[in-house]
Amino acid sequence: MPTPSSRYLRTAFVAGLFVILCIGGYTYQHINELSKASKVVKDNYSLRSELELVISNLKDAEIGHRGYLLTHDSLFLAPYEESLQKISNNLVNLDTLIVPNSEQVDKLKDLNNDIQKRFKNFSNSFARVKDSEVLTKDLLYLLHEGEIQMDTIRSDISEMLDLEQRLLVQNQEISQGKIGLTPLLFYGLLILTLVILLLAYIKMTTDLKALKESNTELEISEKLTKQSEIVSNTSTWVWYMEENEFEFSDNLYRLLGEEPHSFEPTLINFYKFVHEEDLTNLGHRVNLMMKEGELPFTSFRVVHKDGTIKHLKAYSKLMDETDGEKKIFGVTVDATNEVENYRIIEQRNQELERTNKELSAFNYVASHDLQEPLRKIQTFMSRLEAKEKDHISESGQIYIQRMKSASARMRMLIEDLLQYSRTNTSEKEYLKTNMNLLLEHAKTELIDSIEEKRAKIICDDLPTMEVISFQIQQLFINIISNSLKYSKEDVPPVIEITHEEVLSRDVKQIKNSLYKYHHKITFKDNGIGFEQPYAEKIFLLFNRLHGKSEYSGTGIGLAICKKIVENHKGVIVAEGEPNKGATFNIYLPFLK
Amino acid sequence: MNSDYINLALADDDEDDRLFFTEAFEELKVRSNVSLFKDGIELMNYLDDSNNAIPNLLFLDLNMPKKSGLECLKEIKASQRFKDMAIAIYSTSASEEDIENTFVIGANVYIKKPNDFEKLKKVLSEVVTTNWQYHTSGLNKENFLLRL
Repeated sequence: MPTPSSRYLRTAFVAGLFVILCIGGYTYQHINELSKASKVVKDNYSLRSELELVISNLKDAEIGHRGYLLTHDSLFLAPYEESLQKISNNLVNLDTLIVPNSEQVDKLKDLNNDIQKRFKNFSNSFARVKDSEVLTKDLLYLLHEGEIQMDTIRSDISEMLDLEQRLLVQNQEISQGKIGLTPLLFYGLLILTLVILLLAYIKMTTDLKALKESNTELEISEKLTKQSEIVSNTSTWVWYMEENEFEFSDNLYRLLGEEPHSFEPTLINFYKFVHEEDLTNLGHRVNLMMKEGELPFTSFRVVHKDGTIKHLKAYSKLMDETDGEKKIFGVTVDATNEVENYRIIEQRNQELERTNKELSAFNYVASHDLQEPLRKIQTFMSRLEAKEKDHISESGQIYIQRMKSASARMRMLIEDLLQYSRTNTSEKEYLKTNMNLLLEHAKTELIDSIEEKRAKIICDDLPTMEVISFQIQQLFINIISNSLKYSKEDVPPVIEITHEEVLSRDVKQIKNSLYKYHHKITFKDNGIGFEQPYAEKIFLLFNRLHGKSEYSGTGIGLAICKKIVENHKGVIVAEGEPNKGATFNIYLPFLK
Repeated sequence: MNSDYINLALADDDEDDRLFFTEAFEELKVRSNVSLFKDGIELMNYLDDSNNAIPNLLFLDLNMPKKSGLECLKEIKASQRFKDMAIAIYSTSASEEDIENTFVIGANVYIKKPNDFEKLKKVLSEVVTTNWQYHTSGLNKENFLLRL
């Protein structure tokens, strides 16, 4: 497809050529016309002079004739004869000059006749002269007749001259009409040609400018491509299928550990760098590419001259150009980092898996093996207490009590630790769950201590959410039991549970969350509370604000809460005021 | 054989637990014959011998050497001979996995060994006095783990 600008140029060229040809043709025709006209004029003048000559020669003849008549001297006969000869020549010339005009031909005939008559008159009078030496009546008559004939000839000639004059004027008028418009037309055509040339020039300059600009852009983009290839460890290549020729970008040489253009870009030279284990597969893929015109993502290794092994990845596709030449455009990328990172990740995953296995092995040890001896200690102590009570001294019995509470505490620690590690469990099944139900379960679980403390739990209607249900239930249990545990001695605990949906950006702690909305579930109690600076510390593992003797606890419960909330991509925040109570805000993200 | 006596069997590798078990039944004053087995092999040898009476109720520890309680449970449940024998799992751990597995295979009840002798007595008396033939029909996963 020719571009529009080249089409314009072609049109301008053709138009210009046409106009110039027109001008040439017209000029030729015009000059022809002019030369014709001048020939007519020339002929006209020749005719005139010829006619004048006829008169003058006739006069010469007459002079000779008269002289002879007067003197009878034959000396006068010579110019007479000469004039006669000239006149007959003049008549022949005239005959050729007036060929184109029929009217003039007729007139010439008349003239000719009249001249012949005059000549006859001349010869008649010569005959008379020979007879007598004096003027006779006949001769006088002949002289008169000659005079009259002379007048006729003069009028013939003047008629012919008139006619010729008319013809000349006529002719001039015609050629004037023809020539009159010519300069204007020439001028117009010239201007037109100039305009076309000018337009073509403007068009060409703008095209050239655009070409220059796009050329500059192309250069910039080429430089950028080269740079980006170096930075991103990529390279490109083109394979001209018909000629079976390759073109490698500079960086492809670099990816092979070579200087750009340090070797001939051919497939065979390229194969020299490919790792021998990958050669078969790559060769197979390339052969397939030659048939199908596409190389799907293919990974292979190359070995640099210094022995470095790099992982490359290639992809190519056939581009059918409009000029019909088949080219395959390919991209080859250095994927060494990718492969290595993948390997590292895989290694870490394996490590992680091993650690997880160890952790679950630890869980088992903690749950089974540690609990078993403890259980026995406790059972034996209960046996001792029941069976041997009478044989043990009072202080011995106190020791037994101490041992009992110590082992009870140990059991609690083990169980809590187990629970904590169980919140790490990999099987995280998020199911749509009615939170009200989970809260009810939690309350059932804690029914003993709720009744014992005469606690009152007021709660809002909670939403249905996608959660790991047993974990959220544990969360509720831990927070409520925490509130029950740290209640004021003489005041029945009141726990208020409220719910609202909040915009993430409105809350400091979740401002940067990826979710737009959060559920906010608040547990507010009227217990002993805590001082605000401890608000974050209370969630740390084994962290306690009170002595063991004041409040029982392992320091694990709230750590479990934090972990559970984090498992749900949420945030738990505590606020406390000594002797007033504590508030726990749980923010759990959700999608609307 | 006196039909008032209830035939009980316990398979547990732990000597202390076997002691607690027998002492508990002594104190409970349940008229019972208690057979004790140190591991799964010993238990299965006894059960496979057709000369021996089939116990009414078998207490089965899960974590035993040589043959685990779970393997014993599978073998017992595979045989028609023991279809009337009730099986109580008697284990230290109460992991979700163990509870699920034994329930699916067909144990009647899951007892987590208590850490107090009085509680042990209470649990055992509860299990022994339950009519398992009748109880089976109402069996479900929620009350499979015995809670007191």
